[in-house]
Amino acid sequence: MIEDILAASVRIGTPLLFAALGGLLSERAGVFAVGLEGMMLAGAFAGVIATWLTSSLGLGLVASAAGGMALALVVVIATQRYGADQMVTGLAVNILALGLTSFLLRGFGARGEAPVLRVPTLAPWPIPWLADLPVLGAVLFRQPPLTYAGIVLALGVAVWLARTRAGLTLRAAGENPYAVFAGGTDPVRVRALAIVACGAIAGLGGAVLSLQQVGTFTDGMTNGRGYIALAAIIVGRWRPMAALAACVVFGAADALQLRVQGFRLPVSSYVIQMTPYLVALAVLAGVGRSARLPAAIGVPLLRERK
Amino acid sequence: MTATITRGLTGVGAALAIAALLVLSSGKNPLVAYEALAQGAFGSPDRIAVALNKVAPYLLTALGVALCFRARVINIGGEGQIALGGLGAAWVALTIPAAPPVVLVVLSALAGAVAGAMWAGLAALIRLTRGVHEVLVTLLLNFVGVLLVAEALHGDLGEPGAGFPQSPLLERGAWLPKLVKGTDLHVGIVIAIVAVFVVHRVLWHTPFGFRLRVRGASEKAAAYAGIDMHRSFMGVMLISGALAGLAGAIDVLGVHYRLIEGFSSGFGFTAVSIALIGGLSPLGVLPAALFFGFLETGALAMQRAVGVPSPLVSVIQGLTMVFVLAAIALGGARRRV
Repeated sequence: MIEDILAASVRIGTPLLFAALGGLLSERAGVFAVGLEGMMLAGAFAGVIATWLTSSLGLGLVASAAGGMALALVVVIATQRYGADQMVTGLAVNILALGLTSFLLRGFGARGEAPVLRVPTLAPWPIPWLADLPVLGAVLFRQPPLTYAGIVLALGVAVWLARTRAGLTLRAAGENPYAVFAGGTDPVRVRALAIVACGAIAGLGGAVLSLQQVGTFTDGMTNGRGYIALAAIIVGRWRPMAALAACVVFGAADALQLRVQGFRLPVSSYVIQMTPYLVALAVLAGVGRSARLPAAIGVPLLRERK
Repeated sequence: MTATITRGLTGVGAALAIAALLVLSSGKNPLVAYEALAQGAFGSPDRIAVALNKVAPYLLTALGVALCFRARVINIGGEGQIALGGLGAAWVALTIPAAPPVVLVVLSALAGAVAGAMWAGLAALIRLTRGVHEVLVTLLLNFVGVLLVAEALHGDLGEPGAGFPQSPLLERGAWLPKLVKGTDLHVGIVIAIVAVFVVHRVLWHTPFGFRLRVRGASEKAAAYAGIDMHRSFMGVMLISGALAGLAGAIDVLGVHYRLIEGFSSGFGFTAVSIALIGGLSPLGVLPAALFFGFLETGALAMQRAVGVPSPLVSVIQGLTMVFVLAAIALGGARRRV
């Protein structure tokens, strides 16, 4: 039972983990990642469409990263080229993604009705030998492929940020972009690349949802997961492994919610559906005061124009 | 002012052009689609009434958003505040159905405003005491607020045996009076337009409005000038929540005559785009709200008539926002030089 819930927490936390890792890159580079929700949605949509058209889950994954990147490019142009407000731009692309995916989905149906495009889902890959370990085997080593990918990615991002020169440059763009400039690198370019990477990773997070968990696309299927991922970044203090832990906690809230709905409880299913959002709020309220944002986050950088 | 108008019109024009390309790529003629849209929005007095009824809640909510954004308080909790407003209004109307008609409708609408203000106040409280950014708090509370409405409709407020999550029909005394006999047009639009001028006055001609503008221009200057930052934050959130709550109440008391699950869906985000396109000025918000109210009303007719999906409206909204945001920033950058 416990083992079951833990395994489900890891599984359900995976889309959050991807989104959080992408958002973390963007925010450490100094750009608020409010657009995560839309990037996930674009990725979930593109993944399903490509898989449905080509019957290849691999191409579906590529398309989902591309879908997230496409939306990220809009953010790059608005915030980096024109210096638009980062948070409200994020909200704008979320609305854009919601509208665009719903509109395009109906293009595959008749008379403006939304069709149900069924695609196969990524099956679990038990890892030989490790999967037979007690408890740990079920929790960590009998998961679907993107869950492994997410954990590896979290480790990779952690090491990359902390130990490589490029990672240092990215962090500097979020703390003191003028230092980056003085060091001979263009901080606007660093931020643009970070946003695009964020889009690709968050797009894959959408694919986790549509191609690994559900097997189809429905309007607005991310349902606030992008915002919960933002909460996970803050709770994890902008560190990849801590964000991973936060995602598992939020995943657990969701897993419990799904499980409890089967029981007869004195509270209705709607109150239970609030848990992920309430847990996110409660945890944020708990750590809120001590969270320290990257120093130059939200500060627009504009090249001097003649 | 002219810059605001130019920005708004350019943004809307560019968004409509891109949307036309989308329609074209789906194998439909955009001119036919836009004509069906205009027909659906303006085709008959009834359509105009439906559209103006849509404009009223958009306008009220967008006014609150504009005030908040002016003070650099990023309240995007419109949807939750509208949901709570509708819930509060329906609850009062169903709890004291025997009250005299005028009293009932006024009390219900007030209850909506109070409920919306409390929801926004809760977000402000979390922001001020726990330091969690208001963007995240208001966004997360949106989901909770909408679920609260669902919970109420599956519990005490629900209509038994309706088969759909909705409350029983409200007493006639709680319905908003009609503005034009024989159409659905109710007085909500008048209330909203009065609110435009009140908010305009508050923003430009009162000390409170001045404090909000200073706060928005520079937090440091505002703090140095002795403006109580917490108080002004809470104040603007409460006002904006009350306006959104009133919007929810008006939708429940004027259009549906009952609380319906999901009635607030998408309202909050639409209000944010209206506030931005209106240049965060109360008078500018009026044409922007009219535009989106008619656009949305027409879009449903367009979907029925020519099969172009109505989510095209969200595409237009999102694109217009991006264009206007970029234009605002660009204008600011030019001024700096």
